[in-house]
Amino acid sequence: MKRVGRLAAVAAAALVASAHVGSPNVVFEGAAGPYDVRVVVRPPLVVPGTADVVVRSSSAELRRVVVRPVFLCVGVAGAPEGDVAQRVPGDSSAFAAQVWLMRAGAYSVYVTVEGARGSGTVVVPVMSVATGRLGLSTPLGGILVVLGVALVAGLVTIVRAAVGESLVPAGESMSRPARRRANVIAAVSLPVIAMLLFGGATWWKSVDADYQRSMFRAPPLVTTVSAVGPRTMLRLTADSGDLYTPLAPLIPDHGKLMHLFLVSEDARSFAHLHPLREDGAFRVVLPPVAAGRYRAFADVTTELGSAVTLEGSVVAPQPRIAVADGSPNDPDDAWITSRAAATIAPGAVDSVAPGLAIAWSGGAGLFTPGHDTELRFEVRDARGVVADLEPYMGMPGHAVITRDDGSVFIHLHPMGTISPTVQRLFALRDKGDTTVNGRLRIDDSALANTPAMNGHAMPASGALSFPYEFPKPGRYHIWVQVKRNGRIVTGAFDAEVR
Amino acid sequence: MVGVYWDISWHMSIGRDSFWTPAHLLIQAGGLIAGLSSGYVALTTTFRGTPEQQNAAVSFWGFRAPLGSWICIWGCGAMLTSAPFDNWWHNAYGLDVQIISPPHTLLAIGIYSIVIGAFLLTVAHQNRAEGAEQRRLAILLAGIGGLFIMNFAIFLTEYSERMMQHGAPFYDVAALAFPFALVSISRAVKLKWPATAAAAAYMMIMLVLMWLLQLLPATPKLGPIYHHVTNMVTLAFPLWLIAPAFAIDLVRHRFEERVAFPVLAVMCGVAFIAAFVAVQWPFARFLVENPASRNWFFNAENYVYWASPGYVERSHRFAPDISLVAFLPQLWKATLLAIVSSALGLNRGKWISRVQR
Repeated sequence: MKRVGRLAAVAAAALVASAHVGSPNVVFEGAAGPYDVRVVVRPPLVVPGTADVVVRSSSAELRRVVVRPVFLCVGVAGAPEGDVAQRVPGDSSAFAAQVWLMRAGAYSVYVTVEGARGSGTVVVPVMSVATGRLGLSTPLGGILVVLGVALVAGLVTIVRAAVGESLVPAGESMSRPARRRANVIAAVSLPVIAMLLFGGATWWKSVDADYQRSMFRAPPLVTTVSAVGPRTMLRLTADSGDLYTPLAPLIPDHGKLMHLFLVSEDARSFAHLHPLREDGAFRVVLPPVAAGRYRAFADVTTELGSAVTLEGSVVAPQPRIAVADGSPNDPDDAWITSRAAATIAPGAVDSVAPGLAIAWSGGAGLFTPGHDTELRFEVRDARGVVADLEPYMGMPGHAVITRDDGSVFIHLHPMGTISPTVQRLFALRDKGDTTVNGRLRIDDSALANTPAMNGHAMPASGALSFPYEFPKPGRYHIWVQVKRNGRIVTGAFDAEVR
Repeated sequence: MVGVYWDISWHMSIGRDSFWTPAHLLIQAGGLIAGLSSGYVALTTTFRGTPEQQNAAVSFWGFRAPLGSWICIWGCGAMLTSAPFDNWWHNAYGLDVQIISPPHTLLAIGIYSIVIGAFLLTVAHQNRAEGAEQRRLAILLAGIGGLFIMNFAIFLTEYSERMMQHGAPFYDVAALAFPFALVSISRAVKLKWPATAAAAAYMMIMLVLMWLLQLLPATPKLGPIYHHVTNMVTLAFPLWLIAPAFAIDLVRHRFEERVAFPVLAVMCGVAFIAAFVAVQWPFARFLVENPASRNWFFNAENYVYWASPGYVERSHRFAPDISLVAFLPQLWKATLLAIVSSALGLNRGKWISRVQR
């Protein structure tokens, strides 16, 4: 029962949590009807709040862009009408709008574009969660204190006049006892006002405490390493946070219930694994990666449309079997160990396998935080020609980005940072959009096989492009994973964001 | 106050707002007009006032103006202070998470102060005037008294839903607020039926706003939407305060000169509860259970856009549903509160009737 409870904690946390770590902005790239679009959604720090939406297209024919926030719980039937996005001055390809996210939970921004060739709609899932807390700036605090002191002083003066001078008939002067009485009452009013202000401050503090409690905090991922025969087994559970949210079952994303990423502290070793649910916990065979401490990031998705990343750490023991013998427990598991990364610059290449290299093809590689950018790579064969790829878990390629201090983690695809499963969840919700306030009832099989996504028909070209916005300056590590000839390869790159 | 009503209606039906909605502008304009005109009064009285004007004023930090003007200025200051505070609040804790938040409370106190200031400004004139002029000012005071009652009624909206009107909490909060307002008006305003007139003004203002605003079209601009509204949703049919107001006026006529203060407070409190329950109890049953109430006139289908189907269903019955006779014992607390509230009202009414400047 206890274990089940722990798993419940994972799922419940997911309801209020957002996917990824330190990188809340959502980037989507795909086709909306006949047009290619890139949608960037910058969610608010607090909920309810407004998210900024920017829609771009390489097609110059877009005439009108409408954005509409849809809450998964009520679907399109309960969504307000869309807002027309305005053209961004000085940028003919961009349209901008704001959408209001009123509740915590899974939203999607439905972006409808219209042009000469008709119209199309894309669904861009966005998690709506409070992620930050705004402090009171010194100037504003100062203004409020000054105004507050003036109001208190004014109030005391008014009390004094109300019990004294205002009762004196016009033209007469106030008697000495009446004046004294007014002064005494005014003096007594001061502690009364102070008590009221104290009550107000207590109220404010309790609102603040409630708010902080409701802020997103993923429960920590608890990891246990144990030896099973010659192998090392990793067991994962999650500690519960505040369990005030209803339970939601996990659903597979890219066909897996969990995607676990291990990043060594020197970032030279990396693993992308798929633990299996067993007896209330998740288990996976630890691949023979270099011994040491690893940051662990586990991505899970819930039926309620939340994609969440749980964070923890793993201390990997010395591998007891040769690297080559480390057979994974899932054919889609992949890792690299003790390998230096190529620093992103023109000509940067990582030779990932004999006769196969992943090369940076995105130009100078100068990145600015908060600007959407293209991370472009080419997978080249022995002749240096762009190679064809097989789909790897339904995608032409996967990229994982972390900041070197672990404060940023994201798992993305050529379609952007969104979870295709959550996108599909919204599509299913819309199909059965008849109930209000109802839970979605779907079986896992509807989601197990993610269909080929818009604009990424298989087999894919080895020229890959990942749309992304770096959230802040710093040194980042990027791993690019693709599949060719039945083998998954991982390219390692470093990037400096200024 | 009209701005406040409109703003609430806006939030009930459209949802999305900014500083520049007409309702907000009306609220701010109301505050600024009261504050600026009072400031003008203060400056002219201080520097260019006739001896007569100066004599009918009180000092405030070296300036002179009637007490009511200072309260209006203070109220305007409180409203202005609440604006940057509220703006920060929305950025820090979310857009209009709660209606009753610290900055909104400061705004409400500012608005209340302006109503009280206007009331006192007129009271001072009334108390100095005689004959027909006094009567004219008293009628004006009854109108302002209506706004004063409306302040309380709107603040208690969350406790006053029609399904709650067969429960003790509703009568408790009503007993705390309304006897104070009605008794003080009854004592301070020099009319034959002052509380009755003020309660009638409250009901008329609320009804006119309720009927007129419903005629305006509106579409929710925020989701999730559970109830697709097509016109402005307004606050419910006002409380039948005219009945207890009449009872309080009657008690004062018959007994004010004949009984001691505590006895009078008990009589006013009991009269309030008896008259209020006698009218509001059956009317609540009509609003909740009778489909004849679900129309523009009685406005018993004023569901906000976020009203879930479960809420709509719950709003058609009392839970638990008990008879008035079975409910009577539960009124002891409300009766006590009404007596205390009446005592405070008598006390304040006495003070108001003495205000000269």
